[in-house]
Amino acid sequence: MLRAEVAWSQAELAERLGVSRQTVNAIETGKYDPSLPLAFSLARTFKRQIEEIFEAEPIPT
Amino acid sequence: MTEQDPSQNPADAPVDPLYTHPASPFTQTEVPTPVAFASPPSPTPAIYSTWITYRTQIEFGLSMLAYLMVLVGSVIVVQANPDADWRYFVALLPVAPAGFVIWLFVRALAQLDELQKRIQVSAFGFSLAATALITFGYGFLEGAGMPHLSWTYVLPLMALFWGAATAIFTWRYR
Repeated sequence: MLRAEVAWSQAELAERLGVSRQTVNAIETGKYDPSLPLAFSLARTFKRQIEEIFEAEPIPT
Repeated sequence: MTEQDPSQNPADAPVDPLYTHPASPFTQTEVPTPVAFASPPSPTPAIYSTWITYRTQIEFGLSMLAYLMVLVGSVIVVQANPDADWRYFVALLPVAPAGFVIWLFVRALAQLDELQKRIQVSAFGFSLAATALITFGYGFLEGAGMPHLSWTYVLPLMALFWGAATAIFTWRYR
């Protein structure tokens, strides 16, 4: 988990992103897909590309 | 034995990027295509301090108290003057603090983040549908002879459904 690498708590990451701890938790557990601006903020916070953090769901055939 | 100029020590020389060497296969011929959309500006992180949380609750509590005081006062005054011409204005007075409560409520909604807003939209939708179903159902029952109920029951019913749905939808994202 990326957050563990930088040793931030959920509350700490939430404060950096300007969202609630509940939202960080829901993203981590995969129950909520963040909006594009929030995904960009996450990527910027961890100094990664969005594709390194999020995976697109396979297109159903 | 060869003597090396200290300034020519290869370990000190800067390493050239691969593509700068003429024989390099990593020839960079063009700059990368710029992305179509620039990244959005970094949002200013909201301050989630306990003071902010408590301030909203204190303001909400005080305005509810003001509403109840004006409500009780207006009911007493209207009952004491049932024939006065101004009784309708006095009866409407509690709407002012109630409007302030609604303003605080809307302001609190605007401060929610995207997941919390989604939860609230779901909860409001559920509350609206459930209240509509029950009020319509009871309206039909009234037509069949059930006793008439006051309209003021509608809002508490809506609030009840909204609270329950907020709890359920919040739990689902846990």
